Amino acid sequence: MSTLLVNAGGLILMAAIVWWFWLSPSEGSKPDNDHSHHH
Amino acid sequence: MNEKTALHPALSISGASCQGCVRKILGALEPLTGSADQVEVNLEEQTVALPDGIDTGEAARIVTEAGYPASPLGASSATEAGSGGDHCHSDKVQEQAEAGHTHEHKEDKAESAGDGEQIHLAVTGATCASCVNTIEKALKSVDGITGAHMNLADNTATATGQADPRALIRAVESSGYGASVIEDPDAADDRKQEEDRKQYKTLLVKMAISLGLGLGLMIWGMGFNTMMVTSDNQMIWFTLGILTLGVMVATGGHFFTGAWKAFRHHNANMDTLIALGTGTAWVYSIVVTSIPDALPEMARHVYFEASAMIIGLINLGQALELRAKGKTSEAVRRLLDLRAKTARVIRNGEEQDLPVEQVEAGDHIRVRPGESLPVDGEITEGNTRIDESMLTGEPMPVSKGAGDEVSAGTLNTHGSIIYKATRVGSETALAQIIRLVKKAQGSKPAIGRLADKISSVFVPTVMLIAVVSALVWYNVGPEPAAVHMMVAATTVLIIACPCALGLATPMSVMVGVGKAAEYGALIRQGDALQTAGKLDLVILDKTGTITEGHPAVTRFHAPDDNTGRLLALAAGLEQHSEHPLAEAIMAKAKDEDASPDKVTGFEALNGKGVKGELDGQPVRLGNRRWLESEGLDLAELQQEADAITSEAGTPLFLALGNEAVGVIGVADAVKQDSEDAIRRLHDAGIRVMMVTGDVDATAKAIAQKTGIDDYRAEVLPEDKATIVSEMRGKGYTVAMVGDGINDAPALAAADVGFAIGTGTDVAIESAGITLMRGSLHGVADAIEISRATVRNIHQNLFGAFIYNSMGIPVAAGLLYPLWGMLMSPILAGAAMSLSSVTVVTNANRLRLFRTSNNAGKEGNE
Repeated sequence: MSTLLVNAGGLILMAAIVWWFWLSPSEGSKPDNDHSHHH
Repeated sequence: MNEKTALHPALSISGASCQGCVRKILGALEPLTGSADQVEVNLEEQTVALPDGIDTGEAARIVTEAGYPASPLGASSATEAGSGGDHCHSDKVQEQAEAGHTHEHKEDKAESAGDGEQIHLAVTGATCASCVNTIEKALKSVDGITGAHMNLADNTATATGQADPRALIRAVESSGYGASVIEDPDAADDRKQEEDRKQYKTLLVKMAISLGLGLGLMIWGMGFNTMMVTSDNQMIWFTLGILTLGVMVATGGHFFTGAWKAFRHHNANMDTLIALGTGTAWVYSIVVTSIPDALPEMARHVYFEASAMIIGLINLGQALELRAKGKTSEAVRRLLDLRAKTARVIRNGEEQDLPVEQVEAGDHIRVRPGESLPVDGEITEGNTRIDESMLTGEPMPVSKGAGDEVSAGTLNTHGSIIYKATRVGSETALAQIIRLVKKAQGSKPAIGRLADKISSVFVPTVMLIAVVSALVWYNVGPEPAAVHMMVAATTVLIIACPCALGLATPMSVMVGVGKAAEYGALIRQGDALQTAGKLDLVILDKTGTITEGHPAVTRFHAPDDNTGRLLALAAGLEQHSEHPLAEAIMAKAKDEDASPDKVTGFEALNGKGVKGELDGQPVRLGNRRWLESEGLDLAELQQEADAITSEAGTPLFLALGNEAVGVIGVADAVKQDSEDAIRRLHDAGIRVMMVTGDVDATAKAIAQKTGIDDYRAEVLPEDKATIVSEMRGKGYTVAMVGDGINDAPALAAADVGFAIGTGTDVAIESAGITLMRGSLHGVADAIEISRATVRNIHQNLFGAFIYNSMGIPVAAGLLYPLWGMLMSPILAGAAMSLSSVTVVTNANRLRLFRTSNNAGKEGNE
């Protein structure tokens, strides 16, 4: 059970990092990485 | 597509270069225009067309907020080439730069064409390349700002455009950093020095506290107790944990606030990594001490000492970095120190010492031997020798007399002079040089922009790697899994700080630009500094570049060796003439102490020469054809005349009565050191070519004399740019060296334009590099310094990249399966600090660099 929780937690954390720093828009100042998909 | 109403280009944008960008702009403008069909984005021209009746100011604001700095056309048409640093467009600019294109000129023009006044800000709290990106972006998001640029090496930001400085400060502050407007850059320097000193001390105190606590905990835990939590020491460890938290907040609070502010804006920087790393270790430890039973016995290890020590080590690194940074701006400080504080002004016949700020143009100023000149001006009385080495790199003091121009900051070595102030305050050549050097020091070459781009993606990536390594340790690692997870994640976060990466380029650029200024080469753009290192062809203009630019006597010969009489007679004739050749002969006579004879009845004969009378005898000075037609025998002078012709000079024969007295060779003499300088260019593996409007024979003679590989003669001034483009087309990276006025198109067409200055004319727009003294050695010096700087940047970047790319896998535990080694987070903290200190130290090493022409520097040291 704890293994499942820890791994799920880790994956959610990674998804959150990707979402927060790459995908989610922010007011006025987009993150640098916003256009990284072009390259 | 639907029928469109008439669209007119309404906005100028920057940073958009792909269909993704177009979609984003269309989407952003849709609420305003009602339909995306009502908007057209022209990527090529970087404009947005809108239907009539749309508020362009509002549209510009929306597009800027979407990430593409925009301004209404007509209001401001500036599209700063480098703006939108995170967008595809800047990639293109960068690729062009790397492919050897001269976009520095375009940038220059964009900058000067923009209505952009520049607003300078002092920024606090920026520590790494990600911070640079965040700040630049925040500034660019302000309405009316067309470009922004942050220099991490001296913590200043420059925004170009029209905006309220308070809005800029708010923008920087809202992204997590501090900012204040630099009103007076000179005063700001002194203030910054003072602040740096204070901050250095504060950092050392913080370092001592946190490192002291960390070491204390380690010694106590390992020596007298245990780092494992047991029921006996649980309370003690809990108390120590709270103490650690207090110390972390007191000595490392700025990391946490910085991280939080960046996080709120969807950014991550060095603070993020440190805060996460030390925070994870502390949270883990406090959980262990609060509820030890929740974890297996083996995992009840505390890491309070790691949190405290990492913060201490990073504070130490920043303190060392701060001190080393101070040294890189030495060149500018030395220039600032040249400014005299007071001037002895003569007003209404009275001499008075006034602060230099009160000197006005038109004032007469007395300067005694050994004093520095306070402002620029023109000598009205007295003769002296002036040491200009500090401005031009020219080691020998220059003789000056009435009518000659003098510059502020130079040293009067010899006589007492009075001169009239022509340029004062910020108008002086010295003030312009300081501005130029500072600007160039802050500019970023293409290579630096690449590093910034990489590090901006870097931090979130590192966070992902940390989570992945924690999960791997948890799933396949040995027990205690929780401890290993935590140690691996913390160590990865700590070791990966990109601070060294962020410092690598700006540090070297600052030192390199300053070093070049010491040698009298003013670099206007970081890009010129980078490109100068890649040059493989230097095209030289002849007149004034290789040669002195005005005729001078190169040889004189009298069959009876009475050259004194020859010069006295020639000067006696020529003193009545205003021809440039006459000036050359008069100057030579003066040099040789030959006083002009009293020649009367002067007459100039067009195309032949001049004649007069001395004691009833005719004196004639002119070309061979004329004198021979007058029946004179010049056979005796033939050999000397041939020698003069072969050196691209013009022989002038002198006859007194019916006797040939001698021959004088006049030529636009090759500068004494041109040959040496060209040899240095050859030694550096560079091909040298000359372009000139002169006839082939003259060009050939000069090319042979100076060792030039190739020449083009009879070139019209406007064709020089074509030749530059032609050579670039053949694959050469071309430098053009010439004066800033006639050769401006050719200078702008070259990869790097070198303008040969006269020592005062520093603001030559068309050139990437301005040489303060007329010597070609400046070109070789600039190229050598450029190569050394680029090498230094490469070393720094290589070091920083290698360090990170090796450090992260080791920190993640890659060596554990092999040797059972897992890096301690404390070691990671030390290594991280060491990496920035190494970069800064390596950049400082460049200060010791000397070019191969040491002679040129002797006067300066």
